[in-house]
Amino acid sequence: MRKTAAVLATTLFIAGLFTSESVLGQVTDHREIKTPPLRSFSMPQPKRIQLDNGMVIFIQEDKELPLIRGSALIRGGGRDVPAAKAGLTGIYGQSWRTGGTKTRTGDELDQFLESRAAMVETGGGTDSTSVSLNVLKGDFDTVFPIWLDLLRNPAFRQDKIDLAKTQANTAISRRNDEPGSILNREANRLGYGPSSPYARQAEYATIASVTQQDLLDFHKRTVHPNNIILSFIGDFDAAQLEKRLRDTFSSWPRGPQVAKPDPGITQPKPGVYFVTKDDVTQANIAMVHGGTDRSNPDYPALQIMNEIFGGGFSGRLMQRLRSERGLTYGVGGGVGAPWDYPGLFRVQMATKSETAIESVEALKGEVARLVNDPVTAAELSLAKESILNAYVFTMDTRDKALGQRVQLEFYGFPADYFTKYPSLIQQVTADDVQRVAKQYVHPDQLAVLVVGKQSSFEKPLSSLGTVTPIDITIPAADAASTAGGSNPAGMALVRKVQEFAGGKAAIDAVTAVRQTASRNMVTPQGPMSADTVTLVQYPDSLRQEMTLPMGKVTTVLAPGASFVITPMGTQDLPGSQRDQAAGELKTEVVNVLKNVDNPKYTFTTAGTDGTAQILAVGAEGSTVRWVVDPATGRLLRTIRSGQAGETVTEYTEWKKFGNLNFPTAAQMTRAGEKAGDMRVTNVEVNPTIDANAFVKP
Amino acid sequence: MTAVRTRLSMLVALTLFAALGVTAQDLASFEKRMQVRTLGNGLTVLMLERRDAPVFSYATVVNAGSAQEVPGITGLAHMFEHMAFKGSDQIGSKDWAAEERALRKVEEQYRAYESARGMTRPDEAKVEQLRKAWQDSIAEADKLMENDEFSEIVDRAGGVGMNAFTSSDVTAYFFSMPSNRFELWAYLESERFRKPVFRQFYKERDVVFEERRMRTESSPFGRLFEQFVGAAFIAHPYGFAGVGWPSDLHAFSASDAEEFAKKYYVPSNMVLSIVGDVNPTEAWPIVEKYFGRLPKAPAPPALRTVEPPQIAERSVTLRETAQPIYMEGYHRPAASHPDNATYDVISMLMSSGRTSRLYKTLVRDQKIAAGAAGFNGFPGEKYPNLFTFYAITTPGHTPDDVQKSIRAEIERIKTEDIPAEELQSVKTRVKAGLIRQLTGNSNLALQLAMTQTLAGDWRELFRDVERIDKVTAADVKRVANVTFTESNRTVGKIESKGAAK
Repeated sequence: MRKTAAVLATTLFIAGLFTSESVLGQVTDHREIKTPPLRSFSMPQPKRIQLDNGMVIFIQEDKELPLIRGSALIRGGGRDVPAAKAGLTGIYGQSWRTGGTKTRTGDELDQFLESRAAMVETGGGTDSTSVSLNVLKGDFDTVFPIWLDLLRNPAFRQDKIDLAKTQANTAISRRNDEPGSILNREANRLGYGPSSPYARQAEYATIASVTQQDLLDFHKRTVHPNNIILSFIGDFDAAQLEKRLRDTFSSWPRGPQVAKPDPGITQPKPGVYFVTKDDVTQANIAMVHGGTDRSNPDYPALQIMNEIFGGGFSGRLMQRLRSERGLTYGVGGGVGAPWDYPGLFRVQMATKSETAIESVEALKGEVARLVNDPVTAAELSLAKESILNAYVFTMDTRDKALGQRVQLEFYGFPADYFTKYPSLIQQVTADDVQRVAKQYVHPDQLAVLVVGKQSSFEKPLSSLGTVTPIDITIPAADAASTAGGSNPAGMALVRKVQEFAGGKAAIDAVTAVRQTASRNMVTPQGPMSADTVTLVQYPDSLRQEMTLPMGKVTTVLAPGASFVITPMGTQDLPGSQRDQAAGELKTEVVNVLKNVDNPKYTFTTAGTDGTAQILAVGAEGSTVRWVVDPATGRLLRTIRSGQAGETVTEYTEWKKFGNLNFPTAAQMTRAGEKAGDMRVTNVEVNPTIDANAFVKP
Repeated sequence: MTAVRTRLSMLVALTLFAALGVTAQDLASFEKRMQVRTLGNGLTVLMLERRDAPVFSYATVVNAGSAQEVPGITGLAHMFEHMAFKGSDQIGSKDWAAEERALRKVEEQYRAYESARGMTRPDEAKVEQLRKAWQDSIAEADKLMENDEFSEIVDRAGGVGMNAFTSSDVTAYFFSMPSNRFELWAYLESERFRKPVFRQFYKERDVVFEERRMRTESSPFGRLFEQFVGAAFIAHPYGFAGVGWPSDLHAFSASDAEEFAKKYYVPSNMVLSIVGDVNPTEAWPIVEKYFGRLPKAPAPPALRTVEPPQIAERSVTLRETAQPIYMEGYHRPAASHPDNATYDVISMLMSSGRTSRLYKTLVRDQKIAAGAAGFNGFPGEKYPNLFTFYAITTPGHTPDDVQKSIRAEIERIKTEDIPAEELQSVKTRVKAGLIRQLTGNSNLALQLAMTQTLAGDWRELFRDVERIDKVTAADVKRVANVTFTESNRTVGKIESKGAAK
């Protein structure tokens, strides 16, 4: 029968080749195509069971494949761990399974399970942990007891904790290798504040501090029936499985409920933030400020707004910035609304370095447009139809239907939330979208983050405003804490440098230094030479006289005033430049060595560079890295992160002046390229100082 | 002890085999639900009913990838993939007659600009004048197009998961739709290949260049991958990383893309698979009506160049601020070779799960790698390719450390017989893996189309598993000794300079 139909169809087709298209009714416009109504259906819902001890169980039969999958979802995750132990849930999630049970080691479980192609796995996330199983149906009876044993009696053996720590440390060591992951992480930290449970990151020190007892305590704290949602789907008999689960879990007594922690959010200060990353040809850009959460009745209007603004190919961001301008491969954004904690408004994009500034401005333009201009009727109808016509895909498999019920249960939403949702979308008007845009999107509150190689940008980043550099140097394992603080190795090292420079007594006796030097600089205008006389009165006054081809330029930095005198006249130093200069003065070599015992100065070892040691120096927010020869205490070079990238100053020569050692020759590179050099010809220690040296004329 | 364990594992294997025999997931049951037709123009169409929810998914797989490229047009296969979203003469145009003229003008202007630019001693003023004229012609053509109309139609109709990819071997297009949109889908999908229009070509070239910057230039692994395949393949186009060389990306034209499409995007070189809520009686006439419009054309010529046997060990080293990565690749035959099943087994033995060789030695015991694997089909499988080992070092360990241990594991499979129960565990997991794969409309649509394209028959998905089941310890040893030799090896690594920052 089928064969005849096929022959007939082919005959008609061949005939059609020799007739005009209209005979076959060829379509030339997609609007001609009729759309029949969608066949109505309802995906079977799982059965919900609640035990007296508070455990909730969902069961769904699915006989398509001879498999059974189950999961215990447990409240409590990374957001419930103290900051000093950030990363604990990752260690926990791994070593729960690999550390085995009291009766079987993880390696024994590996053998047993893998030879049956069965999986029992554990995991840890921000708000929950889980133990899951995935087996061929014939193995359910042998594997279920293992899954249960692991859930209730994990051993967290030390060797597997150590293995999990090695994995965690590997991830930390690699977290700055890809610009995209730097952007995601730092945008999150900006949006929430680094100490928020939603932005904390694991460090070598926090990973090192996690103990076996911590893991056992976390298990004891969270694994109680009233904190657990079980879900099972597969080729089983639902009634039999229900009986088995009731028999297994009914007698388990309740425990303390895990409560949601305070989000601990610090709003970002609006402005421009920059992370130096030199081994890239793109700038990665993100803009963030606070968002909202799913319980907000404005969510449907926000979803429409997000769809119009940043939804897929049809959204404004992709249309304008990718299709029309070819600036990017990926751009997107919108107001984030997680289920049970505040999200972020976030826009993000990657573009070649040479269009970094243009792209930031273009993104800002789109954000402003979103707030100021109403959405068109065409935009509104496309967004609504896209969401409503695709809605069938939110529940087109038994698996998805089960997942939804678990999600709603976990976050405390009504079971019919998803069935009621389409009508809420249908009701959204253009005015609603305009209202929520104005209410939830604030261009003046945005923190703009750029990751990249600034020397390749078409204009300096400072053309967008004051730039705050973000130092993403990974703190060393023996760092005191993520918030700073010296460590013993750091103190020892800086004292060694102090010795090399002449010793504490001699340095303490210094009140001022005047240096004469000749400099060569690489500037945007070309190479330039200058003779300089620099006077520093410790701790906070500087006067530098530079004799340039165009005349003498004098820069003064002092608590009372900060200004520049040029042949054209005297001008105050702009705030950003003054702050930068003040930071550099705080971290100037002699100033640092004079403040070794000042608690406001921190000294932390931060890894090695070949045979040299790296010392992270902090001075009330200003930072610099010193690279030191640990054998002699000689300061080899300094590394400073700034607006223009990373500046490395290599001290190629030290000379004695009195009983003090001073660097007398230096070479500077910026973002890997030569920036200049300097030769000191004279040093006066504690010279006589003119009364008006730091006074504005 | 060993005898008891072996008998026990044999028992497990038999039980599993028996269990599999009575399931609905074997070849026979699939054959009952599958319909396959070849249209008059040579297009192969697979249709599989899955009637749960009123949705369906499809995949179109074209048997052409970046291996079909030559110097001058590297990156073009991927570029065409982007173009396939730009519509046709019926979709995406405000006025086709005018737009067609405008686009032809763009090509003429581009040709003039390119030849002036390419002269040995270019006249810079003339070049700039021609560049401006070319850009102006683009601005004129852009006025006549409806931006992104194709994807907007799909979005509005409720389409989800719309995407595509280009590999060394194939180019694949896919999305899912509510099932009442079947005819609309058939029109759209056939339209994009019936008459693709290269509007916004030069803007999209910029977008593809951004993709290159993202995936290759700004990523340590991306940089390593490009250098590694370039060293491993000195003759065959597998040596070109798919995204294209910068010079070619800045130079190839819409006319080049049209040539490429005419040559490779022919129905006899394409497979279409449809999985989901489709009624074959109603669906086949629609498929014939719309996809029958694709003009019949000769099959493209086969790729001529074969990579000659490697006689010199090669190595590439990147020195970066990023953390170390290690790779070593060995040439192996194409997936069609009878030993393919043995290579699959070697990959499983080396890297599947916590009982695998590389996990146990490098990750668990020595802790020199956070992850390590050995895998086939790199960068593709249609032609002779590489079996590649890959490792991510733990802090304080170097590429040399992991190299040493990887080589020791290779030596073991060359000299020792794989224990029976280890081999059996691999086979059990392969069989279960197949079962686990046989669900999900979009997943099935893509898998079936890929297998039909690369292996010539969708049934090979099942037959592959049967072949793996027959692999012996002697096969593993033989293939290992032939493949993992010094002169057949290419090493690629990132060495870290300085401390992690």
